[in-house]
Amino acid sequence: MKRISINPVTRLEGHGNIEIFLDAEGNVANTYFQVPELRGFERFCVGRPAEDMPVITNRICGVCPEAHHMASTKALDALFGVEPPPAAQKIRELLYMAFFVVDHATHFYALGGPDFIVGPDAPPAERNILGVMRKVGGDTARAVIDCRARNHEAIRMLGGRGINPCAGVPGGWSKAVSRQERTALAATAAANVEFALFTLQVFDSVVLGNDAYRAMLHSEAFEQRTYYMGTVDQRNRLNVYDGVIRVVDPEGCEFARYRAAEYLEHVAEHVEPWTYLKFPFLKKVGWKGFAEGAGSGVYCATPLARLNVADGMATPRAQEQYERMFEAFGRKKAGGRYAPVHHRLATHWARLIELLYAAERMAELANDEEITCPDVRRIPERVTGEGIGSVEAPRGTLIHHYRTDERGVLTGVNLIVGTTNNHAPIAMSIGKAAREFIRAGRVVEEGMLNRIEMALRLYDPCLSCATHALPGCMPLVVRIRDAAGAELRCIRRSEA
Amino acid sequence: MRSIVVGLGNPVLSDDAVGLRIVEQLRRELGDESDTDTAAICCGGLHLLDAIAGYDRAVLIDAMVTPGAQPGRIHTSSLAALRETRNSGSAHDTSLAVALELGRMAGLRVPAEVRIWAIEAADVETFGERLTPEVERAAPEVVKQVMQALSEGRR
Repeated sequence: MKRISINPVTRLEGHGNIEIFLDAEGNVANTYFQVPELRGFERFCVGRPAEDMPVITNRICGVCPEAHHMASTKALDALFGVEPPPAAQKIRELLYMAFFVVDHATHFYALGGPDFIVGPDAPPAERNILGVMRKVGGDTARAVIDCRARNHEAIRMLGGRGINPCAGVPGGWSKAVSRQERTALAATAAANVEFALFTLQVFDSVVLGNDAYRAMLHSEAFEQRTYYMGTVDQRNRLNVYDGVIRVVDPEGCEFARYRAAEYLEHVAEHVEPWTYLKFPFLKKVGWKGFAEGAGSGVYCATPLARLNVADGMATPRAQEQYERMFEAFGRKKAGGRYAPVHHRLATHWARLIELLYAAERMAELANDEEITCPDVRRIPERVTGEGIGSVEAPRGTLIHHYRTDERGVLTGVNLIVGTTNNHAPIAMSIGKAAREFIRAGRVVEEGMLNRIEMALRLYDPCLSCATHALPGCMPLVVRIRDAAGAELRCIRRSEA
Repeated sequence: MRSIVVGLGNPVLSDDAVGLRIVEQLRRELGDESDTDTAAICCGGLHLLDAIAGYDRAVLIDAMVTPGAQPGRIHTSSLAALRETRNSGSAHDTSLAVALELGRMAGLRVPAEVRIWAIEAADVETFGERLTPEVERAAPEVVKQVMQALSEGRR
């Protein structure tokens, strides 16, 4: 068996390693996606007071600390058996919306967008945010930087600290919002709505207005039919902060609907010998390998998955965009909802619809008088011994599960992070793209490797939840090996 | 001239925290009256741009992993070298060189001088609040070198 290794992938958190194994005829036999795993998180936490977790877990990762902070704080509500007052719930959600705006905007302009806006075959040195700005205009650079700055300020104002907020406590929030702050937050939210609409316009003109990119969006090479997971409100509309977890089958029929606390009844983890990664699957369907369809327990939890499980969006402009996307893929509404879109590159589009939703929802919350209510905390009076909390992280459903002794000291911790949900779909998407572009030993060209990377990048994976090492050396190395593992060819390119 | 010293790293990932420990020590050495600001941040790329925009000079301190290198070894580098390698920081958004160019494109004032101290790490994959001994021993030397560089810049 020949082996092609793409290592590491540009523009992803952590150090991913894609390995493509070829058979004797030079066709793709298998694709593997390996990452180094960070060790010892559970051991590190056991023995600590549970209420430390919101500030510890938000250090797991430099990318989505706010998601960990929120899932952790919600797990503490359950652990201490205390329901936060309405103002605290709204403040938490408001902060979370500011985070979603920043995270999704950053992904589009810095990570996913370059493939579409600069082009999948452009050299890596140009396929970055600067290439995007050259194409869409320098004013956009200012708009992106301003967007990040005003939302980081909102997160700092609400959460006590930028990037790694620290205001989450069991039973509520440690800081109320003043009237003055509310006015500033409303202005931030209004600017976010404008920014989201502008970004969707960019997507319209640059991606949907380009025949080649539109064809890529509809390409079968990126299609994958699986179950989908996401969080919805009581009316089955998307809610990334709170609600019930809903799973739909590849036809779009509801398969499961459960509270985060019941996740172990629905999700199990499969282990493969070639990677530390665990592959979550739907317990009631079972692990049938890296397979598509209703008979395989593989599910996907991404922005596209969330739109696929929802009956609609809870805000008006996001709802318009949601309908536009499903109709662009020829989906018809049946039984109150659209059939799922399986074209995984549409995840980029779905992400921008969520960006608009987060901006609109932020505006609703910032204009809600109740958010300035000083009653933001209920003091816990007991320890239940177990707490499970979840949110939709930008990269998928995030679950924190803690067990403690009677004093509230941790005895066990389990986390299912957003990207983990998608480990199997990611491996499958890479395989599908590889099969489309590598046939009968045909020479593998840069553009093809880029497209395999694109299959991975659309998931916005956070590979190791690590931060960084500087300056590091991350060239792209491609190794082709024969059946015995001997290197036949080595292709290198420099880091973008 | 406005200067900022930025420590980068994850405080709970063993040696990855070395930049944060060093900047904490520098904060104490510099004192409250210093014209040099300090910051401890967890990510590079655009976050780093946000932190250093508006300053004339930036010093970055971080952990580094080079296959086969001796843990505790101190590397120094400059922005010019960074431009060539196009590396640093969180791969989730973008490299520092790209972030700085983006800042210029957006009309922000970005530091004309960026100097980097990187300490070769032994372990950046195990959760823990302690540095490994070699890295712990290297930290005071970096503090000394950065203090010296800052005082030279003032003259």
